[in-house]
Amino acid sequence: MFLALGEIRRARWRFVLLTGAVGLLVFLILFVQALTGALIGQFIGAIDHQSADVVVLSLSARKSLEGSVVAPDAVTKVAQVPGVAAAGPLGEGTFSVRTSGKLRDAVLIGYQPGGPGAPTTLRSGRLAKSRFEAVASSRNASDGFSIGDRVELVRGGRVVTIVGQARDINYSVLPTMFTTFDTYVEARRDANPNASSVWPSAVAVAVAPGASAAAVRDAINRSVPGVEALTRAQAVKESPGVASVSESLGTVVFLCFFVVVVVAGLFFLILTVQKAGALTLLRAIGIGGGALVRSLLIQVVLVVLGGLVVGAALTMAALGASNASLGASLGASQLLQTGAIVLVLATIASLGAIRRVLRIDPIRATIPGAVG
Amino acid sequence: MLALRELRREPRRFVTAAIVLTLLVVLLLFLGGLLDGLYLGSTGALRAQRANVLVYSADANNSIIRSRIDSPTRARVQHVSGVTDVNGLGITLTGTTVPGQRTLADTAVIGYERAANGVPAPPAEGEAWADRRLETFGVRVGQTLGVGPQKVPVRIKGWVHDTNYLLQGALWVHPATWRTVQATSRPDAAVATATFEVLVVRGTPPAAQLARDIDTATHGTTKTLTKNEAVLSSPGTREQKSTFAGIIDVTFLVVGLVVALFFVLLTIERTALYGVLKAVGAKTSRLLAGLITQALVIGTVAFVVGELVTVGLAAILPAKIPLTLQSSRAVSTYVGVIIAAMLGGSISLRRIVRADPMTAIGASN
Repeated sequence: MFLALGEIRRARWRFVLLTGAVGLLVFLILFVQALTGALIGQFIGAIDHQSADVVVLSLSARKSLEGSVVAPDAVTKVAQVPGVAAAGPLGEGTFSVRTSGKLRDAVLIGYQPGGPGAPTTLRSGRLAKSRFEAVASSRNASDGFSIGDRVELVRGGRVVTIVGQARDINYSVLPTMFTTFDTYVEARRDANPNASSVWPSAVAVAVAPGASAAAVRDAINRSVPGVEALTRAQAVKESPGVASVSESLGTVVFLCFFVVVVVAGLFFLILTVQKAGALTLLRAIGIGGGALVRSLLIQVVLVVLGGLVVGAALTMAALGASNASLGASLGASQLLQTGAIVLVLATIASLGAIRRVLRIDPIRATIPGAVG
Repeated sequence: MLALRELRREPRRFVTAAIVLTLLVVLLLFLGGLLDGLYLGSTGALRAQRANVLVYSADANNSIIRSRIDSPTRARVQHVSGVTDVNGLGITLTGTTVPGQRTLADTAVIGYERAANGVPAPPAEGEAWADRRLETFGVRVGQTLGVGPQKVPVRIKGWVHDTNYLLQGALWVHPATWRTVQATSRPDAAVATATFEVLVVRGTPPAAQLARDIDTATHGTTKTLTKNEAVLSSPGTREQKSTFAGIIDVTFLVVGLVVALFFVLLTIERTALYGVLKAVGAKTSRLLAGLITQALVIGTVAFVVGELVTVGLAAILPAKIPLTLQSSRAVSTYVGVIIAAMLGGSISLRRIVRADPMTAIGASN
C-alpha cells in the first residue's frame, strides 16, 4: 500500500492524466447509458405501461403504433379469437395543444374505459371516465399537464381536463395523455375535417385467465388477415427506433469500454517497463513478487475508482444541465454495475504488467548496468 | 530530423499511443457516422427542396404531417411581394409491399409538384422515383410496389439519392398518387384535392424577411420557416445533433488527454537525452517541435488505420444501425485529432524546458 501510494504521490501528474482519461471515458459510458435508457423509456413507455397483454397493429405499420390503422371490424374479429378475454379499440395520435399558455405537441391515446389499454402506473388522481378527461404523463406535470390543468386541442378548440397522473407513460418522447376512445375520435375529426372516418390505430387485447399472451398473439395472427399481433413486451422491444437506438448507442458504449481497457492496460505496462530497474532492486532486497503485484493492483483500483468518481460527477452535471425534460438519470445500480465492469476489465488489462513484474529476476541486480 | 528518425528506428516506442489513438479515432468516426446517418437519413427530403422557405399551418407546431395548407391560403402566399415560385408538398409514412419479399419496406411517400435537387419532375400518376435506400428492401426499377395497407400500385421509374425522410425510404410521386396513399393509409387524415401539407416557396427577399411577409399576408394562419429551420424542425433532429456533438467533443478531450499521458511518459523516459541535446546546443523550441512532429505523425497514422477499421466495421454492422461515413466528417475528425494531439503533446513542454544540460552532463559522466 505504502509503495503504491508513494509512487502515485511522486508521479502525481501521470496518474492524474490517466485518472482524467478513464474518468472521461466512464463519463461517456454512463452518459450514453443513461441517455439510451431514458430515450427508450420515453419512446415506448406508453406501450410498456398500459394494460393490454397483446397489441394488434396493421401489418403495413411495421410494428409502429404511430403508423398503424386497423379497420373497425378488426376489433370484433380479434374479440372472437380463442383466448381473448376482452378486445377494444386503441387510438394514438400527435396533436398540437396549448397549455400553460404555450403551443406544444402532445400524444393522445384513446381506449375504452374499463377495457384493455388503460395506463397501469397511476400515481395520483383517477383514470378518465368520461369524454375529454385524461391521465397525463407525470414527467410533464410542470409543463401544464398536472391534475386540474386544462389542455386545449388547438384544432377544434376543445379542452381536455387532466384528472390523473401516471408514471412512465410517454410516447415518442412527448407529453402523453390517456383518454377515452370517443375523445380520441373527436380530436381526430377536429384535426382532419376531411376525414371520411376515424379508425382505431390498434386493437388492445386482454387475454383470458390461464391463456398465454404469446399463444393468443399467434392465434390472432393466424385467424385475422392484414394485422400483426404483438405481445406487450414484443411491441416494446421491436418498436421501430428502439432497436436501432439501443444497438447504435450500445456499440458506442462497447467501444468506450474497449478504450478504457486498452488505455489502462498499456499505461500500466509502460509504467512497469519504465521502472523495471527499481522493481528488480526491490525484488533483490527481498520484496516478493506478490507484494509488487498487490501494489500494482492497488494502483489500478485507485485509478478506476478515481475515474468512476470523475465520470459520475461529470454525468450528473451533464444530465442535470442538458435535458431535464428527457428524465435521464444516473442510478446507483447502473453506476455500480459500470464500475464493476470497468474494474474487472482494467484488472484483466493489467495482466500484461503483472506478468512483467512476476518475470523480474532479482539476480539481475548483481549485473553491473542491468538495473540502470 | 531527429524526431522522425526516432519514429523510424524505434517504432515500438510509439505503438502503444498509436493503438489507443486508433481506437479513439474509430470511436470518433463511429459517433460522427451515426450522427450523419441519423441527420441525413431524416432530413434528405427537406434538404433536397429548392426553396428559401417552407410554409406550415400555424397550428401544426412545425410538423409536416399535421400541417394543412388549403388553396385559398396558397393563393395568398403566391401574391406576397417577391415570391417567385410556390409548390405543394405532402408526406405519408407507411409500409410498402415489395414483389418477392416477405418483409415490408419502410417508405415515406412524398407528393410534390416541382423538381427538387436530385429529384426529376413528378412522374405520372401511379409511378415513383425511389430513393436508393429502398434497394436494401429488394426494390428494383420497373417493379410495381403495393403502397400502404390497401397496396396502392406504384411503379418504380428510376432512382434518386439522399432524399429520405425520418429514416424511411423516399418514394417521390405525383400529388394525386400521394393523396390516394394518404387516404387509404390514414382515412382519418385524408387530404382534400388542392390541399397540401406544406408549401415550398422561392422568392427574392432574404429568407427570414420572406417568412415574415408570408405570415403577415396569411394573417398568422401560417408559420413559415427558413429551409434550414425546417430541416432542423424534423422530429428529433435538433436534439440528436446537440447530444452527439456533446459526446464527440468529450471524445476529442479524451484524445488530448491520452496523447498528453503517453507523451508525458515518453518525455520522462527521455529527460536525460533532452539534457544532453541541450548541452550540445539544441534549443527547447527545437525539442518541442520534434515532440509535436511525433504527435502529428502518430495522429496521422492512427487516423488512417482508424478510418480503415471504421470502414470495415461499417461493412459488417447490421443495416438498422444508421451509419453514414462522409468525407467531410473524416476531414473534420482528422483536423480535430491533430489539434488534440498537438495540444496533448505540448503538455510535456514544462518538462522539456526544465531538462538541465548540466545535470545531464553530470549524469552521463
